[in-house]
Amino acid sequence: MADKPKAGFYGFTGCAGCLLTILNCEDELLDIFNAADVKSFLMANRANFEDEPLDVAFIEGSITTEEQLEKLKKIREKSKIVVAIGTCSCYGGVQAMYFGDGNFEKRWKQVYGEGKIELTEAFESKPIDEFVKVDFYLPGCPIDKKQFLEFYSQLVRGIPPRLPHYPVCAECKWNENECLLMKGKLCLGPITRGGCNARCPSDNVPCVGCFGPADEVNINSEMKLLLERNYSREEIIRRIRTFAGASFVRQFSKLLGEEAKK
Amino acid sequence: MTEEIRVESLARVEGHGGITVTLKDNKVEDVRVEIFEGPRLIEALVVGKTPEEDLNITPRICAICTVSHKYAALRGLEKALGVKVPKKTHLTRELMHMGEIIESNALHVFLLALPDFLGYPSAVHMAKDHLEAVKAGLALKKFGNRIMEITTARATHGENPVLGGFGRFPSSEELKELKKTAQELIPAAEIGVEIFRGLRMPTYMEESMVFMALRPPGDEFGFVGDRIMISTGECVDVEEYKSVIEERVVSHSFAKRARFRGKPFMVGALARINLLGERLTGKAGEYYRHCYSLGWMRNPLYNNLAQAIEILYCLERIPALVDEISRLKDPKIAKPERTSGKGTGAVEAPRGSLYHHYEIKDGLIQKCDIITPTAQNLDDMELHVRVGTEVLLNKGHKKDDDLNLKLEMIVRAYDPCISCATHLVKVVEKG
Repeated sequence: MADKPKAGFYGFTGCAGCLLTILNCEDELLDIFNAADVKSFLMANRANFEDEPLDVAFIEGSITTEEQLEKLKKIREKSKIVVAIGTCSCYGGVQAMYFGDGNFEKRWKQVYGEGKIELTEAFESKPIDEFVKVDFYLPGCPIDKKQFLEFYSQLVRGIPPRLPHYPVCAECKWNENECLLMKGKLCLGPITRGGCNARCPSDNVPCVGCFGPADEVNINSEMKLLLERNYSREEIIRRIRTFAGASFVRQFSKLLGEEAKK
Repeated sequence: MTEEIRVESLARVEGHGGITVTLKDNKVEDVRVEIFEGPRLIEALVVGKTPEEDLNITPRICAICTVSHKYAALRGLEKALGVKVPKKTHLTRELMHMGEIIESNALHVFLLALPDFLGYPSAVHMAKDHLEAVKAGLALKKFGNRIMEITTARATHGENPVLGGFGRFPSSEELKELKKTAQELIPAAEIGVEIFRGLRMPTYMEESMVFMALRPPGDEFGFVGDRIMISTGECVDVEEYKSVIEERVVSHSFAKRARFRGKPFMVGALARINLLGERLTGKAGEYYRHCYSLGWMRNPLYNNLAQAIEILYCLERIPALVDEISRLKDPKIAKPERTSGKGTGAVEAPRGSLYHHYEIKDGLIQKCDIITPTAQNLDDMELHVRVGTEVLLNKGHKKDDDLNLKLEMIVRAYDPCISCATHLVKVVEKG
């Protein structure tokens, strides 16, 4: 049998919920650690080997300081495959909802005042692919346990993993839920990537978009539907940007016009 | 000669951090608990948004305290807008919150703190000799997650709790399952209390302390309240939190700091048990009365034992709580009375009092202020690391790995989240 692939798990800025979701696989945890040769998992293990090359690096969190950026580049250099796990790593997450609006400094002062922090240079949070090449994306806020296990077992066997390309809306229909949009709720199910089994709409709670955008979604149609239900254009854009600001700016600013950039 | 003792990965004190002790001529000159975790500016991001959006965003501050953030935000926003929630909603929230307390406390007591006391580098190494304890910890942790899955729809960042209620209430089958498991796990929780009460608690960091916790209404133990209790004997409304917690920004940390009248103070399980332990009944009450000593007012390491007792309290409370919830009909989601107002919501997160303050105008948030338990505990950690270093060096302790471990144990007692399972310590000597 071939050698086990060498893997590393890393966390940058975020809530640590994606790595925690992996550790919450209480029944599968030993298999996760057995299927690969885990060289680094600071959250779970004391003995970490940072000098060794990796077959696959899993990265959680967005990048917001110079120090993190240096570390990220080092991980990329030594890894054959880089996987962005979680919405922060894939799209910047909630801390990047105003990605590129030019008001980062103003918000900084709102929280920290004029106080100086000398640790390292901080900048607006960005997804990791703003700085390095990413081979695979596994979004979610946090990632879904089942989806991760499937993704992981494919990766460690050398099979390119695949994600659902359909939106939450499709899963919601399969669950035979009553449509929340039809009830006048601001639901982002039609434009958000599936994989959560439409968890929130199945509990009568509108989708907030925490998995980021699905492929080839019809954002204009979603916009039209919501405008017809008396939501303001401003609020709709704000909601769409909440979890995946960076991605929506890139993909949809043309469709949404200049407002999306603001 | 100036030298530094560095504890590098205090990771997950709301993220990534470390400790640096600077010594000059063998005396402690400075102690810094440093937080390198990147800033996220959450309080600024929710300005201009609706309460519903805030409830999606602020819980993302921390995956381990996500339910507490959701709950504190709900309490603050509902006060501001005059939302009156029915009894079933209130009780189901108590249940979801206990899920987080059990999960977080079990993880810390059994899997993160215990290996230090028993002399193992990690829970995995400890399992060879203490399999029962590791299994008990994992079973309790899993149960805490299960409660959150059932009540909030996910173990982390569940969106089922909404302003005024729940999208869906747990089914009677799900509630029965929780009651049964809670009863079955009482022996597992007792293992934690028994192990920690049997340990000789180190005293090298002892110093008189100030404690703060929320006082639950009525005369029962619990994790929510609208009054702040302080061990000096004072008690103020949560709306006046700024009169007792002074926040400031320091240059070596992205986390803000807090003091009470210029003094460091501690929040968390130890504070709750010190201030409210007399209210405990059942086995939790018995253990409290057997274990309690004056050392609990001076020694943060007792936080581990306090957390173990709290797990037992939750398991003993859940069956009655579940019965009460089952008897009530699912209410409709309560609606806001107004679109403008101010409100402060507070709950006890696993590691201490958490405040969410909001000012809302015409349905949009104008101001948001959040004070996390970690911000409140950082100065107290520094104080005890200072005392611990001085006492140990005076006793002639060498500046070695064991000294670093002893200092780390102080910080870990405050339960600075999950990555503390791992640590890399090095001593840096300057010039």
